[in-house]
Amino acid sequence: MISQTKTFDTKALRKTVLDMAYAGSTVHIGCAFSIIELLAVLYRNHLRYPENDPHAAGRDYFVLSKGHGVMAQYACMRELGWLKDEAFSHYFADGSDLKGLSDSRVPGLETTSGSLGHGFSVGVGLAMGAKLRGTDQKTYALVGDGELNEGPIWEGALFAAHHDLKNFMVIVDENGYQAMGRTADVIKLGSIQAKFESFGFDALTVDGHDETAIDSAITQHWKSNSQAPKALIARTVKGKGVPFMEHNNIWHYTRLDHETYAQALSAVAGSVQ
Amino acid sequence: MRAAFSEALVRLAKADSNVLLLTGDHGYALFDDFRRECPAQYINAGIAEQNMVGMAAGLARAGFRPFVYGLSAFIPVRVVEQIKLDVAHDKLPVVFIGDGAGFVYSHLGTSHQSTEDIACTRAIPDLSVYSPADRFEVTACMNMAYQAKAPVYLRMGKSDRGDVHVAAPQVKIGRLLEVTPGKAGDITFIASGAFVRTAMNIAAGSYPDAAVWSAPFIKPINSKHVASICEKSRVVVVLEEHSVLGGLGSAIAEIASEFAPVRILRVGVRDRFSHRCGTYEYLLQEHGLDRPAIEQRIRDFLTAN
Repeated sequence: MISQTKTFDTKALRKTVLDMAYAGSTVHIGCAFSIIELLAVLYRNHLRYPENDPHAAGRDYFVLSKGHGVMAQYACMRELGWLKDEAFSHYFADGSDLKGLSDSRVPGLETTSGSLGHGFSVGVGLAMGAKLRGTDQKTYALVGDGELNEGPIWEGALFAAHHDLKNFMVIVDENGYQAMGRTADVIKLGSIQAKFESFGFDALTVDGHDETAIDSAITQHWKSNSQAPKALIARTVKGKGVPFMEHNNIWHYTRLDHETYAQALSAVAGSVQ
Repeated sequence: MRAAFSEALVRLAKADSNVLLLTGDHGYALFDDFRRECPAQYINAGIAEQNMVGMAAGLARAGFRPFVYGLSAFIPVRVVEQIKLDVAHDKLPVVFIGDGAGFVYSHLGTSHQSTEDIACTRAIPDLSVYSPADRFEVTACMNMAYQAKAPVYLRMGKSDRGDVHVAAPQVKIGRLLEVTPGKAGDITFIASGAFVRTAMNIAAGSYPDAAVWSAPFIKPINSKHVASICEKSRVVVVLEEHSVLGGLGSAIAEIASEFAPVRILRVGVRDRFSHRCGTYEYLLQEHGLDRPAIEQRIRDFLTAN
Protein backbone atom coordinates (compact mmCIF):
# COMPACT_ATOMS: atom_id res chain seq x y z
CA MET A 1 0.00 0.00 0.00
CA ILE A 2 1.25 3.46 -0.82
CA SER A 3 0.86 6.08 1.82
CA GLN A 4 -0.58 9.37 0.59
CA THR A 5 -0.94 11.30 3.81
CA LYS A 6 1.66 13.98 3.05
CA THR A 7 1.39 15.58 6.45
CA PHE A 8 5.05 14.98 7.18
CA ASP A 9 4.15 14.63 10.83
CA THR A 10 7.47 14.39 12.60
CA LYS A 11 6.32 11.74 15.05
CA ALA A 12 5.25 9.56 12.14
CA LEU A 13 8.51 10.21 10.30
CA ARG A 14 10.55 9.22 13.35
CA LYS A 15 8.44 6.10 13.78
CA THR A 16 9.13 5.16 10.17
CA VAL A 17 12.86 5.60 10.76
CA LEU A 18 12.71 3.42 13.86
CA ASP A 19 10.67 0.77 12.08
CA MET A 20 13.08 0.54 9.18
CA ALA A 21 16.15 0.73 11.38
CA TYR A 22 14.81 -2.13 13.47
CA ALA A 23 13.75 -4.13 10.41
CA GLY A 24 17.14 -3.70 8.79
CA SER A 25 19.18 -3.75 12.00
CA THR A 26 20.89 -0.58 10.80
CA VAL A 27 22.92 2.25 12.26
CA HIS A 28 22.90 6.06 11.72
CA ILE A 29 19.63 6.60 13.59
CA GLY A 30 20.96 9.70 15.35
CA CYS A 31 22.06 11.17 12.00
CA ALA A 32 18.52 10.82 10.67
CA PHE A 33 16.78 12.17 13.76
CA SER A 34 18.62 15.49 13.73
CA ILE A 35 17.19 16.40 10.30
CA ILE A 36 13.58 15.22 10.63
CA GLU A 37 12.08 18.68 11.14
CA LEU A 38 14.24 20.19 8.39
CA LEU A 39 13.07 17.61 5.87
CA ALA A 40 9.46 17.80 7.03
CA VAL A 41 9.37 21.56 6.42
CA LEU A 42 11.18 21.29 3.08
CA TYR A 43 8.93 18.58 1.68
CA ARG A 44 5.73 20.02 3.13
CA ASN A 45 6.20 23.68 2.26
CA HIS A 46 9.03 24.29 -0.18
CA LEU A 47 10.18 21.55 -2.53
CA ARG A 48 8.23 21.60 -5.79
CA TYR A 49 7.83 18.35 -7.69
CA PRO A 50 5.45 18.88 -10.64
CA GLU A 51 2.96 16.02 -10.90
CA ASN A 52 4.56 14.60 -7.74
CA ASP A 53 7.24 13.20 -10.03
CA PRO A 54 10.71 12.85 -8.48
CA HIS A 55 12.19 13.06 -11.99
CA ALA A 56 10.13 16.08 -13.14
CA ALA A 57 12.30 18.32 -15.31
CA GLY A 58 11.30 21.53 -13.53
CA ARG A 59 11.59 20.21 -9.98
CA ASP A 60 13.49 21.84 -7.19
CA TYR A 61 16.60 19.92 -6.30
CA PHE A 62 17.15 18.59 -2.81
CA VAL A 63 20.59 17.05 -2.36
CA LEU A 64 21.24 15.12 0.82
CA SER A 65 24.97 15.64 0.97
CA LYS A 66 25.16 14.01 4.40
CA GLY A 67 23.98 10.67 3.12
CA HIS A 68 24.09 9.18 6.59
CA GLY A 69 20.71 10.78 7.33
CA VAL A 70 19.01 9.05 4.42
CA MET A 71 16.45 7.19 6.53
CA ALA A 72 14.81 10.54 7.31
CA GLN A 73 14.54 11.20 3.59
CA TYR A 74 13.16 7.73 2.90
CA ALA A 75 10.47 8.44 5.51
CA CYS A 76 9.45 11.61 3.66
CA MET A 77 9.52 9.85 0.30
CA ARG A 78 7.18 7.25 1.69
CA GLU A 79 4.66 9.98 2.44
CA LEU A 80 5.02 11.23 -1.11
CA GLY A 81 4.17 7.77 -2.35
CA TRP A 82 7.55 7.33 -4.02
CA LEU A 83 8.47 4.34 -1.88
CA LYS A 84 6.31 1.38 -1.02
CA ASP A 85 5.78 0.06 2.47
CA GLU A 86 7.59 -3.17 1.55
CA ALA A 87 10.75 -1.16 1.00
CA PHE A 88 10.65 -0.29 4.69
CA SER A 89 9.67 -3.63 6.14
CA HIS A 90 12.33 -5.27 3.96
CA TYR A 91 15.00 -2.62 4.53
CA PHE A 92 18.46 -4.14 4.04
CA ALA A 93 17.02 -7.44 2.81
CA ASP A 94 19.15 -9.18 0.20
CA GLY A 95 18.53 -7.64 -3.21
CA SER A 96 16.69 -4.59 -1.89
CA ASP A 97 17.12 -1.12 -3.36
CA LEU A 98 17.32 1.19 -0.37
CA LYS A 99 20.86 1.39 0.91
CA GLY A 100 22.28 2.65 4.15
CA LEU A 101 23.56 5.80 2.48
CA SER A 102 21.87 7.92 -0.17
CA ASP A 103 22.07 6.49 -3.68
CA SER A 104 21.09 8.49 -6.74
CA ARG A 105 19.52 5.46 -8.40
CA VAL A 106 16.62 5.76 -5.99
CA PRO A 107 14.08 8.17 -7.53
CA GLY A 108 14.05 11.26 -5.36
CA LEU A 109 17.69 11.08 -4.28
CA GLU A 110 19.76 13.47 -6.36
CA THR A 111 23.20 12.22 -5.46
CA THR A 112 25.16 9.30 -4.13
CA SER A 113 26.57 10.19 -0.77
CA GLY A 114 28.17 8.72 2.26
CA SER A 115 31.51 9.80 1.01
CA LEU A 116 31.18 13.34 2.28
CA GLY A 117 31.72 16.64 0.56
CA HIS A 118 30.23 15.52 -2.76
CA GLY A 119 26.61 16.61 -2.66
CA PHE A 120 27.37 20.26 -2.02
CA SER A 121 29.29 20.54 -5.30
CA VAL A 122 26.67 18.57 -7.22
CA GLY A 123 24.12 20.99 -5.81
CA VAL A 124 26.15 23.98 -6.92
CA GLY A 125 26.25 22.45 -10.41
CA LEU A 126 22.47 21.94 -10.40
CA ALA A 127 21.98 25.55 -9.28
CA MET A 128 24.39 26.79 -11.94
CA GLY A 129 22.46 24.79 -14.52
CA ALA A 130 19.16 26.36 -13.44
CA LYS A 131 20.73 29.79 -13.64
CA LEU A 132 22.11 29.11 -17.13
CA ARG A 133 18.68 27.90 -18.25
CA GLY A 134 16.94 30.83 -16.63
CA THR A 135 14.52 28.65 -14.66
CA ASP A 136 13.20 29.43 -11.20
CA GLN A 137 14.25 26.06 -9.80
CA LYS A 138 15.82 26.15 -6.38
CA THR A 139 18.54 23.85 -5.12
CA TYR A 140 19.05 22.83 -1.52
CA ALA A 141 22.09 20.94 -0.26
CA LEU A 142 21.88 19.57 3.25
CA VAL A 143 25.29 18.99 4.80
CA GLY A 144 26.39 17.86 8.21
CA ASP A 145 28.53 20.05 10.42
CA GLY A 146 31.18 17.34 10.53
CA GLU A 147 31.00 17.25 6.75
CA LEU A 148 32.27 20.83 6.72
CA ASN A 149 35.71 19.31 7.32
CA GLU A 150 35.68 18.41 3.63
CA GLY A 151 37.54 20.82 1.37
CA PRO A 152 35.31 20.65 -1.74
CA ILE A 153 32.51 22.31 0.23
CA TRP A 154 34.58 25.45 0.57
CA GLU A 155 35.64 25.27 -3.08
CA GLY A 156 31.97 25.14 -3.98
CA ALA A 157 31.09 27.95 -1.59
CA LEU A 158 33.58 30.24 -3.32
CA PHE A 159 32.15 29.32 -6.70
CA ALA A 160 28.51 29.76 -5.64
CA ALA A 161 29.19 33.23 -4.26
CA HIS A 162 31.32 34.29 -7.22
CA HIS A 163 28.55 33.31 -9.63
CA ASP A 164 25.73 34.86 -7.58
CA LEU A 165 23.88 31.59 -7.24
CA LYS A 166 20.96 33.11 -5.36
CA ASN A 167 18.97 29.97 -6.17
CA PHE A 168 21.24 27.81 -4.02
CA MET A 169 20.76 27.16 -0.31
CA VAL A 170 23.03 25.11 1.89
CA ILE A 171 21.42 23.83 5.05
CA VAL A 172 23.87 22.83 7.77
CA ASP A 173 22.75 20.24 10.27
CA GLU A 174 24.74 21.55 13.20
CA ASN A 175 24.23 18.71 15.64
CA GLY A 176 27.68 19.14 17.13
CA TYR A 177 28.85 15.61 16.53
CA GLN A 178 30.78 13.69 13.94
CA ALA A 179 31.79 10.06 13.79
CA MET A 180 34.44 10.08 16.49
CA GLY A 181 33.08 12.72 18.84
CA ARG A 182 32.12 16.34 19.22
CA THR A 183 32.95 18.57 16.28
CA ALA A 184 34.43 20.99 18.81
CA ASP A 185 36.92 18.31 19.84
CA VAL A 186 37.71 16.82 16.43
CA ILE A 187 38.01 19.87 14.16
CA LYS A 188 36.49 22.97 15.70
CA LEU A 189 34.29 24.94 13.35
CA GLY A 190 33.73 28.16 15.25
CA SER A 191 30.79 30.16 13.91
CA ILE A 192 29.43 28.39 10.86
CA GLN A 193 27.23 31.38 10.07
CA ALA A 194 30.24 33.72 10.13
CA LYS A 195 32.20 31.34 7.93
CA PHE A 196 29.54 31.22 5.24
CA GLU A 197 29.01 34.98 5.50
CA SER A 198 32.70 35.52 4.95
CA PHE A 199 32.42 33.36 1.81
CA GLY A 200 29.69 35.67 0.48
CA PHE A 201 26.55 33.83 1.57
CA ASP A 202 23.51 35.32 3.25
CA ALA A 203 23.26 33.24 6.41
CA LEU A 204 20.66 32.63 9.09
CA THR A 205 20.79 30.41 12.15
CA VAL A 206 17.68 28.70 13.52
CA ASP A 207 16.57 26.04 15.97
CA GLY A 208 16.62 23.03 13.65
CA HIS A 209 13.74 21.36 15.47
CA ASP A 210 11.38 24.36 15.41
CA GLU A 211 9.36 23.86 12.25
CA THR A 212 7.90 27.36 12.31
CA ALA A 213 11.33 28.93 12.67
CA ILE A 214 12.78 26.77 9.89
CA ASP A 215 9.93 27.63 7.57
CA SER A 216 10.24 31.35 8.31
CA ALA A 217 13.96 31.38 7.74
CA ILE A 218 13.71 29.56 4.41
CA THR A 219 10.95 31.90 3.30
CA GLN A 220 12.94 34.93 4.44
CA HIS A 221 15.93 33.75 2.42
CA TRP A 222 13.94 33.30 -0.78
CA LYS A 223 12.14 36.62 -0.35
CA SER A 224 15.45 38.43 -0.22
CA ASN A 225 16.50 40.43 -3.27
CA SER A 226 20.12 39.54 -2.63
CA GLN A 227 22.07 37.81 -5.38
CA ALA A 228 24.03 35.82 -2.81
CA PRO A 229 23.67 32.11 -2.19
CA LYS A 230 21.96 31.25 1.08
CA ALA A 231 23.05 29.36 4.15
CA LEU A 232 20.70 28.11 6.83
CA ILE A 233 22.48 26.87 9.90
CA ALA A 234 20.18 24.60 11.85
CA ARG A 235 21.11 23.98 15.47
CA THR A 236 20.01 20.43 16.05
CA VAL A 237 20.30 17.55 18.46
CA LYS A 238 21.75 14.30 17.21
CA GLY A 239 19.22 11.60 18.06
CA LYS A 240 16.44 14.15 18.65
CA GLY A 241 13.15 12.68 19.81
CA VAL A 242 14.45 9.75 21.83
CA PRO A 243 15.96 10.90 25.13
CA PHE A 244 18.46 8.06 25.44
CA MET A 245 19.76 8.79 21.94
CA GLU A 246 20.00 12.57 22.26
CA HIS A 247 23.53 13.95 22.46
CA ASN A 248 24.76 10.37 22.64
CA ASN A 249 27.06 9.62 19.73
CA ILE A 250 26.84 5.89 20.29
CA TRP A 251 23.60 6.09 18.24
CA HIS A 252 25.71 6.90 15.21
CA TYR A 253 26.68 3.24 15.40
CA THR A 254 24.24 1.32 17.56
CA ARG A 255 21.54 -1.02 16.33
CA LEU A 256 18.15 -1.35 17.97
CA ASP A 257 17.29 -4.48 19.87
CA HIS A 258 13.77 -5.43 20.86
CA GLU A 259 13.95 -3.48 24.08
CA THR A 260 15.51 -0.26 22.79
CA TYR A 261 13.16 -0.36 19.80
CA ALA A 262 10.14 -0.49 22.11
CA GLN A 263 11.55 2.26 24.33
CA ALA A 264 12.32 4.47 21.34
CA LEU A 265 8.86 3.96 19.85
CA SER A 266 7.32 4.91 23.15
CA ALA A 267 9.49 8.02 23.44
CA VAL A 268 8.67 9.14 19.91
CA ALA A 269 4.94 8.55 20.43
CA GLY A 270 4.98 10.65 23.56
CA SER A 271 7.28 13.40 22.37
CA VAL A 272 5.81 16.87 22.14
CA GLN A 273 6.99 19.43 19.64
CA MET B 1 46.71 17.86 -32.17
CA ARG B 2 45.78 20.62 -29.75
CA ALA B 3 44.36 22.65 -32.61
CA ALA B 4 42.21 19.66 -33.54
CA PHE B 5 41.04 19.43 -29.96
CA SER B 6 40.12 23.12 -29.85
CA GLU B 7 38.42 22.93 -33.23
CA ALA B 8 36.33 19.93 -32.16
CA LEU B 9 35.34 21.55 -28.89
CA VAL B 10 34.24 24.77 -30.56
CA ARG B 11 32.37 22.87 -33.27
CA LEU B 12 30.51 20.68 -30.76
CA ALA B 13 29.68 23.68 -28.57
CA LYS B 14 28.37 25.77 -31.44
CA ALA B 15 26.17 22.89 -32.58
CA ASP B 16 24.82 22.14 -29.10
CA SER B 17 24.31 24.93 -26.59
CA ASN B 18 24.22 22.33 -23.82
CA VAL B 19 27.93 21.73 -24.29
CA LEU B 20 29.87 23.49 -21.54
CA LEU B 21 33.59 23.76 -21.03
CA LEU B 22 34.72 23.66 -17.42
CA THR B 23 38.36 24.30 -16.75
CA GLY B 24 40.30 24.22 -13.53
CA ASP B 25 42.06 27.48 -14.40
CA HIS B 26 44.12 25.79 -17.10
CA GLY B 27 44.36 26.15 -20.88
CA TYR B 28 45.46 29.76 -21.12
CA ALA B 29 45.82 30.16 -24.90
CA LEU B 30 44.18 26.86 -25.80
CA PHE B 31 40.68 28.19 -25.21
CA ASP B 32 40.98 31.56 -26.95
CA ASP B 33 38.77 30.38 -29.81
CA PHE B 34 36.26 28.79 -27.47
CA ARG B 35 35.99 31.88 -25.30
CA ARG B 36 35.52 34.07 -28.35
CA GLU B 37 33.01 31.80 -30.09
CA CYS B 38 31.08 30.41 -27.11
CA PRO B 39 31.63 32.73 -24.14
CA ALA B 40 28.40 31.73 -22.41
CA GLN B 41 29.47 28.08 -22.44
CA TYR B 42 32.83 28.68 -20.77
CA ILE B 43 33.21 28.24 -17.01
CA ASN B 44 36.50 28.70 -15.23
CA ALA B 45 35.82 26.78 -12.03
CA GLY B 46 39.02 28.01 -10.44
CA ILE B 47 41.79 25.94 -8.95
CA ALA B 48 39.29 23.60 -7.36
CA GLU B 49 39.12 20.34 -9.26
CA GLN B 50 37.03 18.36 -6.79
CA ASN B 51 34.26 20.93 -6.80
CA MET B 52 34.53 21.27 -10.56
CA VAL B 53 33.81 17.59 -11.13
CA GLY B 54 30.94 17.58 -8.64
CA MET B 55 29.47 20.61 -10.40
CA ALA B 56 29.89 18.92 -13.75
CA ALA B 57 27.81 16.07 -12.39
CA GLY B 58 25.12 18.52 -11.30
CA LEU B 59 25.19 20.27 -14.66
CA ALA B 60 24.92 16.93 -16.46
CA ARG B 61 21.98 15.96 -14.28
CA ALA B 62 20.37 19.25 -15.32
CA GLY B 63 20.78 18.29 -19.00
CA PHE B 64 24.09 19.90 -19.90
CA ARG B 65 27.04 18.22 -21.64
CA PRO B 66 30.11 19.25 -19.64
CA PHE B 67 33.65 18.85 -20.94
CA VAL B 68 35.93 19.07 -17.93
CA TYR B 69 39.45 20.14 -18.73
CA GLY B 70 42.57 19.94 -16.61
CA LEU B 71 46.07 18.60 -16.57
CA SER B 72 46.09 14.84 -16.49
CA ALA B 73 47.80 14.86 -13.10
CA PHE B 74 44.66 16.52 -11.70
CA ILE B 75 41.89 15.47 -14.08
CA PRO B 76 41.44 12.52 -13.53
CA VAL B 77 44.00 11.56 -10.89
CA ARG B 78 43.16 14.12 -8.21
CA VAL B 79 39.43 13.58 -8.63
CA VAL B 80 39.12 9.84 -9.10
CA GLU B 81 36.49 9.56 -6.40
CA GLN B 82 34.35 12.38 -7.79
CA ILE B 83 34.52 10.74 -11.22
CA LYS B 84 33.55 7.39 -9.77
CA LEU B 85 30.77 8.50 -7.45
CA ASP B 86 29.32 11.69 -8.90
CA VAL B 87 29.62 10.89 -12.61
CA ALA B 88 30.32 7.26 -13.56
CA HIS B 89 27.91 5.77 -11.03
CA ASP B 90 25.06 7.45 -12.91
CA LYS B 91 26.59 7.16 -16.38
CA LEU B 92 26.35 10.93 -16.71
CA PRO B 93 27.53 12.41 -20.02
CA VAL B 94 30.65 14.16 -18.78
CA VAL B 95 33.87 14.15 -20.81
CA PHE B 96 37.11 14.54 -18.90
CA ILE B 97 40.07 15.93 -20.80
CA GLY B 98 43.41 15.18 -19.16
CA ASP B 99 46.04 17.25 -20.95
CA GLY B 100 49.81 16.96 -20.72
CA ALA B 101 49.72 13.27 -19.83
CA GLY B 102 52.97 11.38 -19.46
CA PHE B 103 56.15 13.43 -19.30
CA VAL B 104 55.00 16.54 -21.16
CA TYR B 105 55.87 18.70 -18.16
CA SER B 106 59.33 17.23 -18.03
CA HIS B 107 60.90 20.15 -16.17
CA LEU B 108 58.20 20.54 -13.55
CA GLY B 109 58.56 17.30 -11.68
CA THR B 110 56.24 14.66 -10.31
CA SER B 111 53.28 16.93 -9.49
CA HIS B 112 52.66 17.64 -13.17
CA GLN B 113 53.67 14.29 -14.61
CA SER B 114 50.98 11.71 -15.12
CA THR B 115 51.81 8.07 -15.67
CA GLU B 116 49.13 6.41 -13.56
CA ASP B 117 45.99 8.06 -14.94
CA ILE B 118 44.92 5.15 -17.14
CA ALA B 119 45.39 2.68 -14.31
CA CYS B 120 43.29 4.95 -12.06
CA THR B 121 40.43 5.19 -14.53
CA ARG B 122 40.32 1.79 -16.24
CA ALA B 123 38.80 0.05 -13.25
CA ILE B 124 35.95 2.54 -12.83
CA PRO B 125 32.78 0.94 -14.20
CA ASP B 126 31.00 2.69 -17.08
CA LEU B 127 33.91 5.05 -17.71
CA SER B 128 35.55 4.88 -21.14
CA VAL B 129 39.22 5.73 -21.60
CA TYR B 130 40.52 7.16 -24.88
CA SER B 131 44.15 7.90 -25.72
CA PRO B 132 44.49 9.47 -29.18
CA ALA B 133 47.80 9.55 -31.03
CA ASP B 134 47.39 12.38 -33.53
CA ARG B 135 45.01 15.08 -34.71
CA PHE B 136 42.86 12.63 -36.65
CA GLU B 137 42.40 10.46 -33.61
CA VAL B 138 41.72 13.51 -31.41
CA THR B 139 38.92 14.60 -33.71
CA ALA B 140 37.48 11.09 -33.82
CA CYS B 141 37.76 10.67 -30.05
CA MET B 142 36.10 14.03 -29.37
CA ASN B 143 33.22 13.17 -31.68
CA MET B 144 32.80 9.75 -30.12
CA ALA B 145 33.02 11.13 -26.60
CA TYR B 146 30.21 13.55 -27.41
CA GLN B 147 28.11 10.90 -29.13
CA ALA B 148 28.63 8.40 -26.32
CA LYS B 149 26.45 10.45 -23.94
CA ALA B 150 28.33 8.65 -21.18
CA PRO B 151 31.41 9.26 -19.04
CA VAL B 152 34.67 9.39 -21.01
CA TYR B 153 38.23 10.14 -19.99
CA LEU B 154 40.20 11.48 -22.96
CA ARG B 155 43.94 11.47 -22.39
CA MET B 156 46.05 13.98 -24.28
CA GLY B 157 49.79 13.48 -24.08
CA LYS B 158 52.75 14.80 -26.03
CA SER B 159 51.06 16.47 -28.95
CA ASP B 160 53.77 17.67 -31.31
CA ARG B 161 55.05 14.44 -32.81
CA GLY B 162 53.14 14.66 -36.05
CA ASP B 163 50.46 12.54 -37.66
CA VAL B 164 50.50 8.78 -37.52
CA HIS B 165 47.69 8.48 -40.05
CA VAL B 166 47.88 9.90 -43.56
CA ALA B 167 44.18 10.74 -43.51
CA ALA B 168 41.25 10.48 -41.14
CA PRO B 169 40.96 6.75 -40.41
CA GLN B 170 37.77 4.75 -40.22
CA VAL B 171 37.28 4.57 -36.49
CA LYS B 172 35.13 2.09 -34.64
CA ILE B 173 34.83 2.14 -30.90
CA GLY B 174 37.12 -0.38 -29.21
CA ARG B 175 39.05 -1.32 -32.34
CA LEU B 176 42.73 -0.71 -32.90
CA LEU B 177 43.87 1.23 -35.96
CA GLU B 178 46.52 -0.13 -38.28
CA VAL B 179 49.17 2.48 -39.00
CA THR B 180 51.81 0.20 -40.54
CA PRO B 181 50.80 -3.09 -42.19
CA GLY B 182 53.01 -6.04 -41.37
CA LYS B 183 53.51 -9.67 -42.23
CA ALA B 184 51.74 -12.36 -40.26
CA GLY B 185 54.06 -14.20 -37.92
CA ASP B 186 56.32 -11.26 -37.29
CA ILE B 187 56.51 -8.73 -34.47
CA THR B 188 53.46 -6.62 -33.76
CA PHE B 189 53.71 -3.23 -32.13
CA ILE B 190 50.71 -1.87 -30.29
CA ALA B 191 50.97 1.62 -28.88
CA SER B 192 48.93 4.63 -27.84
CA GLY B 193 49.42 8.37 -27.72
CA ALA B 194 52.83 9.78 -28.51
CA PHE B 195 54.40 6.32 -28.44
CA VAL B 196 52.65 5.31 -31.65
CA ARG B 197 55.20 7.50 -33.41
CA THR B 198 58.00 5.78 -31.46
CA ALA B 199 56.70 2.37 -32.50
CA MET B 200 56.50 3.47 -36.14
CA ASN B 201 60.07 4.75 -36.07
CA ILE B 202 61.43 1.58 -34.50
CA ALA B 203 59.51 -0.63 -36.90
CA ALA B 204 60.58 1.36 -39.94
CA GLY B 205 64.21 1.32 -38.88
CA SER B 206 64.64 -2.18 -37.53
CA TYR B 207 61.62 -4.39 -38.17
CA PRO B 208 60.33 -3.72 -41.69
CA ASP B 209 57.89 -6.65 -41.58
CA ALA B 210 56.36 -5.63 -38.26
CA ALA B 211 52.81 -4.33 -38.02
CA VAL B 212 52.11 -1.22 -35.97
CA TRP B 213 48.72 -0.60 -34.43
CA SER B 214 47.45 2.44 -32.61
CA ALA B 215 45.07 1.88 -29.72
CA PRO B 216 43.04 5.06 -29.23
CA PHE B 217 40.53 3.15 -27.11
CA ILE B 218 41.98 1.71 -23.94
CA LYS B 219 38.47 0.99 -22.73
CA PRO B 220 36.26 -0.34 -24.09
CA ILE B 221 38.67 -2.40 -26.12
CA ASN B 222 37.52 -5.02 -28.59
CA SER B 223 38.85 -8.30 -27.19
CA LYS B 224 38.21 -10.25 -30.38
CA HIS B 225 40.12 -7.70 -32.41
CA VAL B 226 43.05 -7.70 -30.01
CA ALA B 227 43.05 -11.50 -29.91
CA SER B 228 43.04 -11.70 -33.71
CA ILE B 229 46.05 -9.41 -33.84
CA CYS B 230 47.89 -11.40 -31.17
CA GLU B 231 47.17 -14.68 -32.96
CA LYS B 232 49.00 -13.47 -36.05
CA SER B 233 52.03 -12.27 -34.09
CA ARG B 234 55.27 -13.96 -33.12
CA VAL B 235 55.63 -11.54 -30.25
CA VAL B 236 53.79 -8.37 -29.28
CA VAL B 237 55.48 -5.20 -28.08
CA VAL B 238 53.24 -2.69 -26.34
CA LEU B 239 54.51 0.86 -25.92
CA GLU B 240 52.97 3.62 -23.86
CA GLU B 241 53.92 6.72 -21.95
CA HIS B 242 52.30 5.36 -18.82
CA SER B 243 53.10 2.93 -16.07
CA VAL B 244 53.41 -0.68 -17.16
CA LEU B 245 51.01 -1.36 -14.30
CA GLY B 246 47.40 -0.98 -15.35
CA GLY B 247 47.77 0.71 -18.71
CA LEU B 248 47.48 -0.39 -22.34
CA GLY B 249 50.11 -3.09 -21.91
CA SER B 250 48.12 -4.59 -19.08
CA ALA B 251 44.91 -4.45 -21.10
CA ILE B 252 46.52 -6.25 -24.05
CA ALA B 253 48.16 -8.82 -21.80
CA GLU B 254 44.88 -9.52 -20.02
CA ILE B 255 43.13 -10.24 -23.30
CA ALA B 256 45.99 -12.22 -24.82
CA SER B 257 46.40 -14.41 -21.76
CA GLU B 258 42.76 -15.42 -22.00
CA PHE B 259 42.18 -15.68 -25.73
CA ALA B 260 45.47 -15.70 -27.66
CA PRO B 261 48.54 -16.40 -25.54
CA VAL B 262 51.65 -14.80 -26.98
CA ARG B 263 54.81 -13.35 -25.48
CA ILE B 264 54.25 -9.67 -24.75
CA LEU B 265 56.85 -7.05 -23.93
CA ARG B 266 55.33 -4.16 -22.06
CA VAL B 267 57.34 -1.02 -22.62
CA GLY B 268 56.34 1.84 -20.38
CA VAL B 269 57.19 3.54 -17.14
CA ARG B 270 58.45 1.04 -14.66
CA ASP B 271 57.23 1.40 -11.10
CA ARG B 272 59.12 4.62 -10.41
CA PHE B 273 58.83 8.41 -10.27
CA SER B 274 61.09 10.76 -12.20
CA HIS B 275 64.19 11.60 -10.22
CA ARG B 276 65.55 14.57 -12.14
CA CYS B 277 64.28 17.10 -14.62
CA GLY B 278 65.23 18.09 -18.14
CA THR B 279 63.85 18.03 -21.65
CA TYR B 280 61.16 15.56 -22.64
CA GLU B 281 63.85 13.55 -24.41
CA TYR B 282 66.03 13.59 -21.31
CA LEU B 283 63.23 12.28 -19.17
CA LEU B 284 62.48 9.46 -21.59
CA GLN B 285 66.13 8.48 -21.26
CA GLU B 286 65.93 8.56 -17.49
CA HIS B 287 63.03 6.12 -17.67
CA GLY B 288 64.66 3.95 -20.30
CA LEU B 289 62.09 5.00 -22.86
CA ASP B 290 64.32 6.63 -25.44
CA ARG B 291 64.55 4.87 -28.75
CA PRO B 292 67.97 3.18 -28.26
CA ALA B 293 66.95 1.84 -24.85
CA ILE B 294 63.66 0.51 -26.17
CA GLU B 295 65.40 -1.11 -29.14
CA GLN B 296 67.83 -2.83 -26.78
CA ARG B 297 64.97 -4.13 -24.66
CA ILE B 298 63.27 -5.50 -27.75
CA ARG B 299 66.45 -7.25 -28.87
CA ASP B 300 66.90 -8.75 -25.41
CA PHE B 301 63.29 -9.87 -25.42
CA LEU B 302 63.57 -11.49 -28.81
CA THR B 303 66.73 -13.40 -27.88
CA ALA B 304 65.53 -14.34 -24.40
CA ASN B 305 63.49 -17.23 -25.66
